[in-house]
Amino acid sequence: MTEQVPASNRTQRIHVSPHDLVSIGARPGFFEYIRQIWQFRSFIHFDSRSRIATGNSDDALGRIWLVLNPILNGATYFFVFGILLDTAKNIPNFLGYLIIGTFMFRFTTGAITQGARALNNNQSMMRAFNFPRATLPLAVNVRELMSQVIVITTMLVLILAIPPLEEISWLWLLIFPVVIVQFLFNLGLSLLLCRIVTRFPDVVNLISFGTRIWLYLSCVFFSLDRFENNPGIYQAMQLNPLFCVLDITRDALLYGNVPSFERWAVLGTWTLVLLIVGSIAFWKAEESYNQERA
Amino acid sequence: MTGENLEKDVAVVVDHVSMTYKVRAKDDEGKRTLRRRVRDFIGTTTVDVHALKELTFVAHRGESVGVIGTNGSGKSTLMKILTGQINPTSGNVHATSTPVMLGVNAALQPQISGDDNITLGCLAMGMTRRQLEPKRESIIALAGLQDSIHLPLKSYSSGMSARLQFAIATSIDPDILIIDEALNTGDAQFREKTRQHLDSLRGQAGCVFLVSHSLGTIREMCSRVLWIERGVLIMDGDPEEVTEQYDSYAGQMGRGRVKAPRKQRNALMEQLVKTEVVWSP
Repeated sequence: MTEQVPASNRTQRIHVSPHDLVSIGARPGFFEYIRQIWQFRSFIHFDSRSRIATGNSDDALGRIWLVLNPILNGATYFFVFGILLDTAKNIPNFLGYLIIGTFMFRFTTGAITQGARALNNNQSMMRAFNFPRATLPLAVNVRELMSQVIVITTMLVLILAIPPLEEISWLWLLIFPVVIVQFLFNLGLSLLLCRIVTRFPDVVNLISFGTRIWLYLSCVFFSLDRFENNPGIYQAMQLNPLFCVLDITRDALLYGNVPSFERWAVLGTWTLVLLIVGSIAFWKAEESYNQERA
Repeated sequence: MTGENLEKDVAVVVDHVSMTYKVRAKDDEGKRTLRRRVRDFIGTTTVDVHALKELTFVAHRGESVGVIGTNGSGKSTLMKILTGQINPTSGNVHATSTPVMLGVNAALQPQISGDDNITLGCLAMGMTRRQLEPKRESIIALAGLQDSIHLPLKSYSSGMSARLQFAIATSIDPDILIIDEALNTGDAQFREKTRQHLDSLRGQAGCVFLVSHSLGTIREMCSRVLWIERGVLIMDGDPEEVTEQYDSYAGQMGRGRVKAPRKQRNALMEQLVKTEVVWSP
């Protein structure tokens, strides 16, 4: 049943000047976008803070889970890998090694699994308010950073409390640049994943799978030395940015070595590339996040 | 009718805006090819829904524009496009500043307190901390939640959260204001407060759009009415005239008539003076 829509034969022309008018719903330029995000900094700060306060509010132990979670994870790995599979041999202070592995790795997995869903989880916020959408994954990352401060404090206490005793040295200060670089790395990756997930929602199901594989490839509970006889794998493993994070932290906290420049270079390159690619990719699709999915 | 002069006091320009939704659904028309069968099976068949077809109009400062139309006519879609919440499939919208919708859809977070929700909502609307603090008291007062503002939102009744939503959404002073059926929330006492608050907001705003099914409200508050039907603008003009036509149309539709309303629609569309926007350099 097609209906003939009658055309009106009268037309009024209205001359308007684009001065003083802004285009609604259009994507701003990249640097203007960054400026807008900066203007919403109070929103980012408050959003991350209010959710960290309530993140686990339904559990009886509440925020303690933030610390309990990596401890239990570490205990599991210790049992499975340290005792059953005996990957601990030749690793000095295996407990410290494992604690740094699980506690530092948690930062990235937490940030990117939450960050990738930041837009999908906040559809109601997005329907109600107009704000630069990148503030949502950014807030998730800031929230994870705040959590990580608590986690790292616990980590340092554990390393000091569990024998063999480690001495506090100036190298411990390196934890600050490590965490900052890891934060930027997580942010870049979150932005990129967020863009992909909003376009292909099914990818969410692959992320936890991906982080699992990544965990097994990042020397969380075994030593890189296992692959000394296989130069291909040995080289490839060192290009893993999270391995670099763990290795730098262990050198600084456990072994009193100055972390090698190579680790910093690999980690820094990944971070820079992901941050640029991620933010541009996210910004390019800014308009499409508003599209309602049926 | 060709005016060469630049139009003054333009607040909103809607230029050739159309909206087509892709909806996941089974489409029973057409041939059932293998590809269709597979997509049906996976559940990824999409159907196009034309919510708005090529709409153009200009609204000026000082105007109160009522928007009417039967259910599913595309009113809400148009309002969402005006605020930039969704982007039109084609065409574009320009305005002096981003129009703000006052609905009952300000997002609230159930785990945090009413007070924190006020902070979060206001910051999400782009206020700074300094702009926010003086407003907090009046938001709480308008919502009537002085006693329970520190409780988490999940302990609120739905009426309480609706009031809070409204109070947060109306806490900014927008230049271009869109009100979507917002008058119908809450109990009698709150409705009276709402009304006063909206009146004062309307007084301050440069241009107001009011979407309502209540023709009385429209006649009372608007200086111009747009009637949208099936995604097409069919009337644009004096509130008395438009609402009268709409009333008889809706009445006919309500009695299940088909031909008479269609005739009326076509006649109105023929009379409509179409708008064309010419952008001056």
